[in-house]
Parts: sequence; C-alpha cells; structure tokens
Amino acid sequence: MTRHSKLAMFLAPFLIIGGYVLSDLYLEDQANELKLFELKPMGHCDVFNDNCILKSGEFEINVMHQGIVTTVNSTYPLDTATLFLVDTQGEATPYQLGMKDSPYYWKRETPLGELIANKGEKYKLRFIGEIKGGKYIAEFYTQTVK
Amino acid sequence: MEDKQNYWSENLRLIFICLVIWFVVSFGCGVLFVEPLNEIRLGGYKLGFWFAQQGSIYTFVALIFWYGKKMNDLDKKYNVEDA
Repeated sequence: MTRHSKLAMFLAPFLIIGGYVLSDLYLEDQANELKLFELKPMGHCDVFNDNCILKSGEFEINVMHQGIVTTVNSTYPLDTATLFLVDTQGEATPYQLGMKDSPYYWKRETPLGELIANKGEKYKLRFIGEIKGGKYIAEFYTQTVK
Repeated sequence: MEDKQNYWSENLRLIFICLVIWFVVSFGCGVLFVEPLNEIRLGGYKLGFWFAQQGSIYTFVALIFWYGKKMNDLDKKYNVEDA
C-alpha cells in the first residue's frame, strides 16, 4: 500500500464523521421548521356512514360521526386535533377534539349529526391535526348518501 | 520548481474532486435529494435510503483506492514515486 492510500484511509473516517455531523445538523434544523401537509379525501366523504378517509402520503385519518359524537382516527398518533364546522356563510366553528384512550383516536360532541342526518345533505368541514410540530390540514365536504 | 507547482496543483485538483464526490454522495444523495431518489428502488430498497445506509460507505471506500491510484500515477508522471 502506497503512502497516498495510507493517507486516504487515515482521513476517510474523519470525512465520514464530518458528513454524519453535517447531515445531523441539517436534519435537526429542518425538523424545527413548521411543516404543513394537505390531506385530500379518498373518494366520496360521508362521515355519517363511516366512509370518510383523508390521506397525505402514508398518513391517513378516518372521520366518522355516530349519535352526537364525531371521532377522528389516524394512522399516526396526533398531538392535537381540531375540527371546524363551516356554515354556508363561511363561518367556521372550531371543535377541539379530546383524546379517546390513545393518541390515535380523538372525539367530541358536535352538532354535525343534526346538520347531515338526511340523505343528500352536505356540509363543509376543516381539520387541523398536529404531529411533532408538523400540521396536517384539510378542507372537505361530507355528504350523506344513505 | 515549476514541476513541483504543477504536481501540487494537480494534487489539489484531485483532492477537490474527491471532496465534491464525498459531499454529493453523503450530503446530496443521503439528505438533500433523498426524496426524489427514494422514488427509485434498488434491490427492494429506496435508493435515497440505500445511499444513506450503504451506498455512501461503498463510494468512500472506492474513493480511497481511486485517489491512491491517481496519486501514484501523478507520482510517476513527476518522478516523485516511493523508492
């Protein structure tokens, strides 16, 4: 082995560690930035009949309404979950959901059932879910089909 | 004297190329361009992930031997090889 190969082998670990430190600093800086992701409905959304899935990449939420309680179930644990009911004038009423057993399930009593109880009724909803500084947002309509 | 300067500038050029490859492979492929690279699959693994985990190490090892060979060639060219 020549002196050049020996020198390169001696320096390589320092460069590898340097690359690791640089990458770590960069990713830590990125993680501190606010991330915003938009969730899109997969097909038709009908929360009254338990058929409303919103998706962004591998993250999915299922929004459902039974009786007087609206529940959100997510594929990753959420830190907070807020549902907004938006009336025909565009006025949004926020409903901060509470954790139900685990951070995968969030629920709260809402008047949504009265607003979409009949077939064909449609209502605009917004959702904001937070995960480790990142925000998942959605604006979508639910329409009762049966 | 001029030979020494040329040898040194060619040496620096080689080191610069090595550092560019080191940066592109470790920081570029492993972090900056990881998302588009992850669209490509290599043996079932996402390419960006593979670069971060294994590909960069393979490249670094190859770089050591490539640098050694190029420097030996340079030594021969300028008659400064090991005795």
